[in-house]
Amino acid sequence: MTFHLGYGTNGFADHRLDDALAVIADLGYTGVALTLDHAHLDPFAADVVRRTGRIAARLGELGLVAVVETGARYLLDPRRKHHPTLVSEDQEVRVDFLLRAVRIAADLGADCVSFWSGVAPPGVGPDEAWRRLRAGVEAVLDGAAVDGVPLALEPEPGMVVEHVEQALRLHAEFGSPEPLGITLDVGHCVAVEPEDAAACIRRVGGLLLNVQLDDMRPGVHEHLEFGEGALDLPATLAALEEIGYTGLAAVELPRHSHAAPEVARRAIEALRAALPPVDHPWLVEAERSVRTDPASIRTLFPAVGRTVGRTPLRAPTDPLGVVHGTVDDLARTRLLVALAKVSQDLGAELVSLYRYGDDAERRGVLRALADVGDKAPAQGVELVKDALRTNDTRLVAAALGPFAADHLDQHTWRHGVLKCLFLGIPLAAVAGLDRRADAELLRMVGAYADERRAAGRDVPAEAAELLRSQT
Amino acid sequence: MRIFDPHIHMTSRTTDDYEAMSRAGVRALVEPAFWLGQPRTSVASFTDYFDGLIGWERFRAAQFGIRHHCALALNPKEANDPRCTGVLDVLPRYLAKDGVVAVGEVGYDSMTPEEDEAFARQLALAVEHDLPALVHTPHRDKAAGTARTLDVVRESGLPPERVLVDHLNEVTVRAVADSGCWMGFSIYPDTKMDETRMVAILREYGTERVLVNSAADWGRSDPLKTYKTALAMLDAGFGEADVDRVLWRNPVEFYGQSGRLNLDDPSGTSDTFAGNSVLRGARP
Repeated sequence: MTFHLGYGTNGFADHRLDDALAVIADLGYTGVALTLDHAHLDPFAADVVRRTGRIAARLGELGLVAVVETGARYLLDPRRKHHPTLVSEDQEVRVDFLLRAVRIAADLGADCVSFWSGVAPPGVGPDEAWRRLRAGVEAVLDGAAVDGVPLALEPEPGMVVEHVEQALRLHAEFGSPEPLGITLDVGHCVAVEPEDAAACIRRVGGLLLNVQLDDMRPGVHEHLEFGEGALDLPATLAALEEIGYTGLAAVELPRHSHAAPEVARRAIEALRAALPPVDHPWLVEAERSVRTDPASIRTLFPAVGRTVGRTPLRAPTDPLGVVHGTVDDLARTRLLVALAKVSQDLGAELVSLYRYGDDAERRGVLRALADVGDKAPAQGVELVKDALRTNDTRLVAAALGPFAADHLDQHTWRHGVLKCLFLGIPLAAVAGLDRRADAELLRMVGAYADERRAAGRDVPAEAAELLRSQT
Repeated sequence: MRIFDPHIHMTSRTTDDYEAMSRAGVRALVEPAFWLGQPRTSVASFTDYFDGLIGWERFRAAQFGIRHHCALALNPKEANDPRCTGVLDVLPRYLAKDGVVAVGEVGYDSMTPEEDEAFARQLALAVEHDLPALVHTPHRDKAAGTARTLDVVRESGLPPERVLVDHLNEVTVRAVADSGCWMGFSIYPDTKMDETRMVAILREYGTERVLVNSAADWGRSDPLKTYKTALAMLDAGFGEADVDRVLWRNPVEFYGQSGRLNLDDPSGTSDTFAGNSVLRGARP
């Protein structure tokens, strides 16, 4: 993994900061998003420099990286939440606070200071709000230059900058200065962005300085635990890997302080389950073993699930891993890729692993054919045909991946697609459907639909959709 | 009352048995591989059987709220048939599977050189795969067979606490108790132990390292013998904690050494296996 998993201290508001850091580190997080607040490293305290030094030492002892967050609710104004902001009349109060935060971040060795724009006050139009925001950000960037700590603007629902698009625009208007980057809350992407979090991550790319992790439902700005909303967590984390993100991705659950240790434990478990198993120490060792002793795959292959886990890769949309597979599928592909590089007779070993395999091992072999099947196409086709004779939905789905799209004869492939409709397997599992669908398949699906109608039964939506889209 | 039957051959039993066991409190079991009552004629017959034990039978048990695990091996009787011994070459693949919690049943039937070879080789596999072993003691010449069994176990390098010596009785229990191995007793009508004699042995030897099983199979046997032994223990003045120790905690401790026991409630798991259900006639 290229980046750090952390937890936001605003989700530990009922803990002393020292205690919160210890609990967070104990759970296995390697970073912390530290929200400066009256109870947690108050930037207006007389002895803030001394306290900051102590926290910096503590972070070092616990091995935690940090970012500084500035979203405290009543730190600047005890009556008005989040007030004043960079778009308020008295903007300079916020600028002063952000500059204090920058100095604290410098002393902590934090990656960046994260901030948001603010809600436009009543009577302030979009142009004026934008002008104020630019002036405020400019003041902060000027003041922060000496400390060399970058600033990260977070799009926040309901504020002047609420979408990634606006944050990118502001960045561009400044002539793309180095010290200004972006904080992305992946839950916000679900709630208000036109694209999903993974797409937002790719769009922000190298400007991403800070990530907040939480779940949300579309249209609702409510920070939820993973699995309670619509976030595709594995795809989100995979996108962070993909862009080579090296900063902190910290869980942001500011309304869960009442049960913080338990919520934080659940969160790291969900994160671990969702991470691609690429760097799982067992898998790395198993790959090495397969490279040096190819026969060792015979006992490693069955053990994959109980070591790296069995979670679906994209649980929110594919809860059983029928379409996109599971973590153990992915790990088994890695083992077979390692085997393919050294094996004298890959085809025979693929057949043995499949024949002696349980259902999960068989799926693993079938899914790996996408990567290694070209080296043993005859055996690959034999195994795909075997799987298509079963009634096991996950096996049938795994059989109809890219290898089948490239190598399976048209007759068998058509019957595989029809079997998906029979068994209720989403056609998303069928690779190359648009490319390979032909008039004969449509005839078969059409006849199936007619038969269902004649019997007074529903026509599966996917069958109807296929007929519509291909004709 | 929660019961773990550490030795029962569910492949030979009906869904009525599963229902009765579930009602009596059986929540987990281990099904060791053994012979089918009629001889196998090829290695493929073994692998089909193993596939059933790690797949279909586990699924069947789960439908009744029972966690099914298995022990896999070439059994002593068929170790004498050259058509079958080739299974030892594919056994390592199977010992690596989920839910395989021991090597077994291994041991002696007629104490032939072929049995010697298969027994020693499979104890070595237990060491290599970090699994405990379930050792069957012979029906004929039982005391001598048990003594020889313990010698082979000592030579194998497998620590005694990872060995369960099964089908013991009044004649063989002392030697196994002294060896440090776990003691298994099959409560099986007519040919093995009964509940009353079992209670007497528990009185004499205590509850430590003692496991009680039904060994129910295709013969005239009773899958509720674990439960009936528990009742006999309570009648004889043993407490509920003693019953829990013998019928749950001891088997959990022994097979738990595999690191592969799964004692979560299986209710709510998939109601089909590989697309097929035990509810024949209903879809699919």
